[in-house]
Amino acid sequence: MGLDAWSLVAIFEIVIFLVTFPLLVFGWLMRARGRNPIRDAPFESGQTHLGEARQRYMMQYYPYLIMFIVFDVIAMFLFTWGLAFSSVPMARNYLFLVFIAVLVAPLAYAMYLSGKREFW
Amino acid sequence: MPDIAFLALSGLVIVSAIFALEARELIYGAVGLAFSLIGVAGLFILLGAEYLAMFQISVYVGAVVVLILFTIMLVRRESGRIVEEEEPGRLGRAGILVAGLIALAVAGAIVILVPISPEAPEFYGVPLPELGRDLASSYAVPLVILGLVIGATVIGGLTLAKVEREKKPNGTTQ
Amino acid sequence: MWLQALPALQEILNLALRIITSRTFLEIVFFPGFLNVMLSAAFLVWLERKVIARIQLRIGPLYAGLSGILQPIADGVKLMFKEMILPELADAKLLMLCALGLMMLAFAPAAAIPFGEGLVIANMDVGLVYVFAVMSLFPSVILLIGWGSNSKYSFLGGLRSLFQQVAYEIPMWLSVLGIVMLTGTLNLTKIVEAQQRLWFVVPQVLGFAVFFTVALAELERTPFDLPEAETELVMGWMTELSGVPFMLGFLAMYTKLYVMSALITTLFLGGWSGPGFLPQPVWVVLKTFIVASVVFVIRGTFPRVRVDILLRTGWTRLLVLAFANIFVTVALMSIGLGSVWRI
Repeated sequence: MGLDAWSLVAIFEIVIFLVTFPLLVFGWLMRARGRNPIRDAPFESGQTHLGEARQRYMMQYYPYLIMFIVFDVIAMFLFTWGLAFSSVPMARNYLFLVFIAVLVAPLAYAMYLSGKREFW
Repeated sequence: MPDIAFLALSGLVIVSAIFALEARELIYGAVGLAFSLIGVAGLFILLGAEYLAMFQISVYVGAVVVLILFTIMLVRRESGRIVEEEEPGRLGRAGILVAGLIALAVAGAIVILVPISPEAPEFYGVPLPELGRDLASSYAVPLVILGLVIGATVIGGLTLAKVEREKKPNGTTQ
Repeated sequence: MWLQALPALQEILNLALRIITSRTFLEIVFFPGFLNVMLSAAFLVWLERKVIARIQLRIGPLYAGLSGILQPIADGVKLMFKEMILPELADAKLLMLCALGLMMLAFAPAAAIPFGEGLVIANMDVGLVYVFAVMSLFPSVILLIGWGSNSKYSFLGGLRSLFQQVAYEIPMWLSVLGIVMLTGTLNLTKIVEAQQRLWFVVPQVLGFAVFFTVALAELERTPFDLPEAETELVMGWMTELSGVPFMLGFLAMYTKLYVMSALITTLFLGGWSGPGFLPQPVWVVLKTFIVASVVFVIRGTFPRVRVDILLRTGWTRLLVLAFANIFVTVALMSIGLGSVWRI
């Protein structure tokens, strides 16, 4: 039909939506009626729940998230390098290895910080 | 003649952004931001920058929005509800009026001054291998400096974010 | 008045008939599109239960259909009619929206994966990074489900899942960088074409090992299934889902497994290449199921990894291996062996 690739992806997603949405509507119509405190409580294997569910659980892994963002951006550059790899003289390629090496220090620091719970 | 895809994506960006600003819960605001950024990625695709669109989704929606969500969920003690909003006072309403007039003036200036070409310009897309070649040759030094800047930012940010607990005299931390 | 509407109706019917029989529609809805992924995901549910059962010296599903093969469908129908419990503190609309989002995200990469020469829904020049971009959206949706359920098990499961998937995304990208270097393209069809002489699993052994491990982590499969460990977190971030949202989340996980296995097949195992006595799509599906079976065997065999070890391994050892793979590839190409895979 001459559609470009992205329109096809959009149509594909729309098909999935059209199949899944009625299922959700069906489930919504079959939902539980009336408030029942025992049924509506969060599941804690039989115990009554105490305390706030949303607390500061895993802050010690915060550096991992920061490094993820950094390496996400770096990956963008690295993929362009990978695409141009064959058409560039080899010396230039070694430069990208330097680029990677520069980022080892922050990574090591983030690893060090995320091991210690007392910092967070 | 603006085409449907452009209108739809622009609508998504604007409506999601307004939703993000006006939502009651901060989490909904972050979700609105995510949809807005996905709309921006769609606009990139319309402009022919597919690679950039993919990394826009990866970096912004996949990483930055995650960080925002994580921060909202774990740092705020209360439920995140925005408590009270009052109607804008007289000063506020005057401000809105002035902002609206300035927006109209700028839009009018753009419409009048910028010539509208009858046909759409060709996509100026940089082929990806050429981009890689340029990064390796012309932009090599800025690239390494970029790496150093990122590294310094990360180290600085993490150092500032961590909490130094005081050490008690017997050697254990507070 | 009806007589005037008749030609217009005929036009619409003609248009609908043309659309339905068009190759694009058939591709999207049947193969390699929606029905293929959906039925394969259901098949994988059955396959997993059978493989795990044999490892554990039992039989597995037996009664629903021939050797229990209709069991996943029976489960799906049952889940549709189960009561959808919405805890009072949970955000029902957010949960349902995220369940829908999970399904759409799980199916999305299948649009770029080739199931034969020219048999792909959308032949994108940036297919590889498209798949990775879609995969990077999963952690946020899972985090929202975990948070929106407002239960300690769910929230903790969501957090663990988030960190696990985020930690293993970077080695995933770096491990395929070698393939990008060798072929110089991000187009999945061209990557498969480049493997006609030698599959990439041979020169990129390290990359394959890293990518396979990352796939286990991204799919939350043992030995990385801490977010849904039954003895620890009940069901992790899916604890508070029930009925239709649970069915969608569960199905999304197996869809993701199918898509990831197909991706491994495409990137490392030669995609559709194989002796000619079987048609190409059959080769792809066969290899995908073999990869999935290996995943199942690993599930039945290995113990679970603790969360901090898991994160640390992902960030340190897998990254080192991925970098090593890049160095090996650079070395290979400096010698000049890159021409083996030039298209």
